[in-house]
Amino acid sequence: MANKVVELEELGTLVADGDRVALGGGWFANHPMAAVRQLVRDQRRDLEAITIVGSVDIDLLLAADSLRHVTFSMVTLEAFGLAPHFRQKIEAGEVSFTEMTGLGLLIGLEAQGRGVPFLPYRGPFGSDLPGHYPDQYAEVDCPFTGERLTATRAIQPDVAIVHALRADPEGNAQWDGTSAADVEMAKAAERVIITCEEVVDRDTIVANAHMTKVPGYYVDAVIEAPFGAHPCTHVPAYGLDAWRIKDYVAATAEGFDGYLDAIRGETEADYRKRVVGEDRMPVLRGLVDQARVLTPTDG
Amino acid sequence: MSDYEVHELMVCRVAREVDESGVVVMGSFTPLAYAAYMLAKLTHAPDAYLAGFDAVGMAPVQLSFTGVEAAAYKGAACRWGMLTEINSIHLSNNGGVEAVSSAQFDGDAAINLSTIGPFEEPKVRLPGGAGAAEVIKMYRKMVAYFGSHNPRTLVEKVPFVTGTRWKIGDESREAAGLLPGPVVVVTNLAVLIRDEDERPFRIESLHPGVTAETVVEQTGFELEVPDDIPETTAPTDDELRLLREQIDPHGTVAFDFMPGKERMAYLDRILDAEWSAAERAIGR
Repeated sequence: MANKVVELEELGTLVADGDRVALGGGWFANHPMAAVRQLVRDQRRDLEAITIVGSVDIDLLLAADSLRHVTFSMVTLEAFGLAPHFRQKIEAGEVSFTEMTGLGLLIGLEAQGRGVPFLPYRGPFGSDLPGHYPDQYAEVDCPFTGERLTATRAIQPDVAIVHALRADPEGNAQWDGTSAADVEMAKAAERVIITCEEVVDRDTIVANAHMTKVPGYYVDAVIEAPFGAHPCTHVPAYGLDAWRIKDYVAATAEGFDGYLDAIRGETEADYRKRVVGEDRMPVLRGLVDQARVLTPTDG
Repeated sequence: MSDYEVHELMVCRVAREVDESGVVVMGSFTPLAYAAYMLAKLTHAPDAYLAGFDAVGMAPVQLSFTGVEAAAYKGAACRWGMLTEINSIHLSNNGGVEAVSSAQFDGDAAINLSTIGPFEEPKVRLPGGAGAAEVIKMYRKMVAYFGSHNPRTLVEKVPFVTGTRWKIGDESREAAGLLPGPVVVVTNLAVLIRDEDERPFRIESLHPGVTAETVVEQTGFELEVPDDIPETTAPTDDELRLLREQIDPHGTVAFDFMPGKERMAYLDRILDAEWSAAERAIGR
């Protein structure tokens, strides 16, 4: 069986300066943060990031001057505020951007995955966004009914990086919780990199085959990265490290050089020791255990 | 009747819009909206069909900043991804209710989540609207909520339209292939409603101690002021108990209502409580 397993440190050979990189995850969930940190260590430049709902992933790449362009439908730190470098870099005109509507972006990825140049849908009528991007959105009449629809052009990333719960060496990758647009990104991209909490043998994948969302034939490389979405979540492995998100925001107020220098001066294994912390790991997993479902009898 | 905070009144009022028809789409963790959905599910709408994150057919869950996503999956009947959700809920006209908030909102139910200042050279680059640009027009009911009702937020015309309700009256909505239903705005002062093309928002109810004059003054768009405006129905003791003891014991909803200076200290207290709960869960 094909063995596509590589070390995180080899990511630099898979992502080139200038690439259009789709980053998986959505909200605070499941962003491929270990890979993002490695791109920062590798001092990648002039990347175009594509995110559906980005978070510290996009913000960190902007802080590290790794992006020339960001394509997004939302970038936010939610309760922890507006994404600081996303704001700064766009407001200062230092990075260009394409703000897409969420469905336009998803369906654009879907179009590429299906091999068609665009797909029609009942679009964001009345929104000012499509008018800013005539290369991405157009109006089109249904050839059968004449209904006026929105066309969203196919979006092709050079590479998609998505973080899964587990994958086997062939690249068959499984998710249990939030998968956001990971599958559509993988199907649209020319190259696919799976980072995962754990590389497992094929038997483990087969035993849970209903959880496989990206089959191995799409995949070019598999990278084991425990706590690879940290400080974001990877349910059911761990909850949100809100304390480290707060540290991230606080570091911004102090100029952020220290934060970047620390990441660049260490390996991902060092990061796990320094920032995640071995004594904290069980508690971050405990955030998932303590999460409660309510029943009407609780009333 | 119990004392209650204005955010609790807002949660209960938003909860009353949640019903058992269609799918209630929750998206990411927005505490006030989440609290309202959970309250509805535990009271008048036990069969409300909830979708949060990629968890579809959710059970009601307790709110927390660090574990709410994990909770969403624990009681859910189905796990999808975003594309399946938009195809199967929004684009197939199965969206029942969603409560949204935005930086700005106007009298045509258009929202701005994109920019303050010119789009290409923003003074403040806002987060963006995610799916809101398309989907606020598609839900049967649009509920918008604002913790601070003022004329900078509720404006006559948003300077940038990230998304819009597009068609308002039932007939024009149905003619456009959309589900008919109102736009309901719940703020810290009042409840506003609009359901006709040629009629502006009107004040549906006023919160205790708030006058219609204040609401008109604090609203940037035209408002119809009925002669007789009822007071917003107060939360019941049962609702308050569910909210405080079961749904939101850590107080995540109040966080969005904290004045700037107290916010971080308040957040730290919530996070301390969540950390302790996690430690207990692993037997530390």
